Amino acid sequence: MNKLQGQITKIETSGNLSIVHVSITEQIKLKAIVVERPETAPYLKEGNEIAMLFKETEVVMGTDAIHAISLQNKISGVIKKVEKGTLLSKVVLESGAGDIISLISTNAVNQLDLKVGMNAMAMIKLNEVMISTV
Amino acid sequence: MIKIKLHKALHAAQGEMLLDLNLEIEQGTLVAIYGPSGAGKTSTLKILSGLLQPDSGMLSVNDNLWFDTKQKINLKPQQRNVGYLFQDYALFPNMTVLQNLAFALSKKQDRSILQELIEMMELGELQNRKPATLSGGQKQRVALARALVQRPQILLLDEPLSALDRKIRSKLQNYILSIHRKYNLTTILISHDIGEIHKLADKVIILENGQVAQEGTPTDIFINQKISGKFKFTGEVLNIEQEEVVYIVTVLIQNQIVKVIAQSTEIEGLKIGDQVMVASKAFNPIIYKID
Repeated sequence: MNKLQGQITKIETSGNLSIVHVSITEQIKLKAIVVERPETAPYLKEGNEIAMLFKETEVVMGTDAIHAISLQNKISGVIKKVEKGTLLSKVVLESGAGDIISLISTNAVNQLDLKVGMNAMAMIKLNEVMISTV
Repeated sequence: MIKIKLHKALHAAQGEMLLDLNLEIEQGTLVAIYGPSGAGKTSTLKILSGLLQPDSGMLSVNDNLWFDTKQKINLKPQQRNVGYLFQDYALFPNMTVLQNLAFALSKKQDRSILQELIEMMELGELQNRKPATLSGGQKQRVALARALVQRPQILLLDEPLSALDRKIRSKLQNYILSIHRKYNLTTILISHDIGEIHKLADKVIILENGQVAQEGTPTDIFINQKISGKFKFTGEVLNIEQEEVVYIVTVLIQNQIVKVIAQSTEIEGLKIGDQVMVASKAFNPIIYKID
């Protein structure tokens, strides 16, 4: 599980859903949607330190700056390691927020020609991010 | 209902310590006491059983006073109807299993309980053997049966399974659960094994320095409730297999088997038999009606 720690900067709530904005570093901001509201989850408070958790299998990899995409969470970095299996591969991206691990198909790694030292971007849908108190 | 309001100055290894208990335990529940060594766990059980006298306070069981400094009431251990089991089996070596059980009968008690317990604890084939010929798990089964001979209302278990290996421990845990339910006992178990507590206990009390530091269900206490996942279950790891760059962890959740893809960092320190939480976001599961 990828785990990034940051500070809640904003909470948008509608009914029982909230989108939580978290600043991991100056440059890296992530969002998560949860089935909670600040009244039901006391840790949902602006300024609170929180951890963002997401599974490696939910991390999408891209090589160039991709503008027309619905994914809300984008983290750019440099590929540090590529471990290839027959079907699945593990890609480690070194970013300002620390290492992000992505599990994608080996076919995708080959198509994008992902290699150590390349600039790349990790992307995560906001509904795949869990939050946890620290 | 057991109501406990007791104080006792203890001479612990770290020096003087005040055991200050204020607890209510519902009839029929299985409560685990968890905490560091020297926190007052064993002293708590000894006080409940009458083996250790508190300095002040009161103890009532189903509205009967067992101890009250104001009214000068202090029932003797044999008047308290408590079954007590320690890590050390304390069986009489010169007696057979059956004789060990019979020795625990009170004067006018009907002997039929012996046969009932022998059946329940599956001791039939062992009943004429002496303790020296039994394994650790078998001895502890006999000791558990003996603790029940006088049909106690309350069963106190002081780390009874900590000396046994995992497989035997799991079997003994099942015996404890079945007798707890069958005899509608109120059971208080001291344990350091979080998996065991998850499996057996309705409630956990964390004791630190003689004080109750936390109380709640095992899930509340041991599993980070503050994670936002709505699809969240606890289970036992049955198997861990590596497949290419990932691992497949098989987890038993109640009586269902699920498989979870995990990463090498998540596997670190994880072994078969461990209790784990399996969590996902409410957004991920797919739901459909079964016709």
